[in-house]
Amino acid sequence: MNLSMVEFLLQQAWQSIRRNGLMSLATSSNMTVALIILSSFFLSTINLEHMADVEARKANITVDLEDDADPGDVEATLLGDMRVEETRYMSKDELLEDLAASFGRSAEAVQAGLQENPLPNAIIVAPGDPQDTEAIAETARNIEGVAEVRYREQITHQLLTLARGIKIAGVVAAVLMGAATLLIVSTTIRLTIYARRREVRVMQLVGATNWFIRLPFILEGAFHGVIGAAVSTIMVLASYSWVQAYVSEHLAFLELIYSARFAVLFGLGTLACGILFGVLGSVIGLHSYLKHV
Amino acid sequence: MIHVEGVTVVYPDGTRALSGVDLQVDRGEFTFIVGASGSGKSTLLQLIYRELVPTEGRIIIAGQDVAGLPRNRVPHLRRNIGVVFQDFRLLPDKNVWENVAFALEVVGASRREKYRKVPLALELVGLAEKEQSFPHELSGGEQQRVSIARALVNSPAVLVADEPTGNLDPEISWEIVQLLTNIADRGTTVLCATHDRVIVDGMRKRVVSIVGGTIVRDARGGGGYDEP
Repeated sequence: MNLSMVEFLLQQAWQSIRRNGLMSLATSSNMTVALIILSSFFLSTINLEHMADVEARKANITVDLEDDADPGDVEATLLGDMRVEETRYMSKDELLEDLAASFGRSAEAVQAGLQENPLPNAIIVAPGDPQDTEAIAETARNIEGVAEVRYREQITHQLLTLARGIKIAGVVAAVLMGAATLLIVSTTIRLTIYARRREVRVMQLVGATNWFIRLPFILEGAFHGVIGAAVSTIMVLASYSWVQAYVSEHLAFLELIYSARFAVLFGLGTLACGILFGVLGSVIGLHSYLKHV
Repeated sequence: MIHVEGVTVVYPDGTRALSGVDLQVDRGEFTFIVGASGSGKSTLLQLIYRELVPTEGRIIIAGQDVAGLPRNRVPHLRRNIGVVFQDFRLLPDKNVWENVAFALEVVGASRREKYRKVPLALELVGLAEKEQSFPHELSGGEQQRVSIARALVNSPAVLVADEPTGNLDPEISWEIVQLLTNIADRGTTVLCATHDRVIVDGMRKRVVSIVGGTIVRDARGGGGYDEP
């Protein structure tokens, strides 16, 4: 393929986009809406999964010891479990200091209001994989000298359930929106071919190859994908950065994924999706029409 | 140049369009294919440019078996066969120059090739000074000349014309057929389907008559519409 062929193909594609102005606008708009919906679902899902992951990592197991227990023995038993990544012994005084600090007071001030330190000595256990938290806790309960085992399972569990629900809704939306987009793109391309049937016929008669006839239409589909991806990426990233700013200011305990690298990858992913939808829609439109021209 | 051997075409609905047709046409020969509407003239031409494949028989063009050609080779065959129709089939939003250049562009010709070949083709059909005109600004005869220029611009070995004078006045028709015979004189094999008796009788070229899908007469040395 030489330079004048490429120029000719691009020119053909651009001409039919312009000639079918209103239809082209409708197709690009539909592509934009579809990609906005898909990328919103995507962003919600990966952020919830990210939050669940962060929470799960924070969710250490606290193993409270009986007063007469030997922390060394319990710690050694815990470390014998392959699923345990690390353990940290905290005496009741250290725990009280931590607790007081979280209220913004000194340990002495807190202790002054109490007869004695009510907290037990404890070992903080970090699981290698957050998934094993429950199993490790169960094992720890049976170790001699352990009074009680506590861990934060609920928030992690809820976040993961929510993420799973949104993921399923996202997949359903992706399938529906994807099908609608393919239908619209393929209809646009079919109309374009119909509008240009004389040209297509002449091309066939003077010996243009089938791919040469198809390429301008495929480029046209890809064009709608690129426009849809560009507009939706700008809109989604603008809204997302606003949400991120709001969350970091008002809901600081939530952590959203946000970086320049993420934005670039997100944009490229949306672009790839848009082009895929556009090209696939064109191919469907061409397949059902061109053989009859 | 063209060898048609024992060709039969039966359409899916059972209509028999051609039966046992044999035809040989030499390089640079001009041949009229005559017959009434529905006699099978167009079917025979469609077989040549591989719009149709025969139910039986073989078609060899320049040594190439056209009927057995895989689909992806058909475009390459068509670059060697120019086709002209009764309704010209020009693109209304392109001017004369662009209509002719279109045939080169879609086969990937370079810019330089385009600027060399388009003026030559327009010169040959006598329309060099109208290259900027649009089809609707031209007479029927001029439009047919543009379509002939487009068919010739790829320098095909064969030119197939299906009722090229069907929409034209007798005087203009005469000029168009004259142009086609000039093209044959330059070495292109020309097949011209027509039912224009006056023109066929006046030209005294080879005449192949088809009736009901069968060749009933082949006046090789030149003849009229009816008599040998």
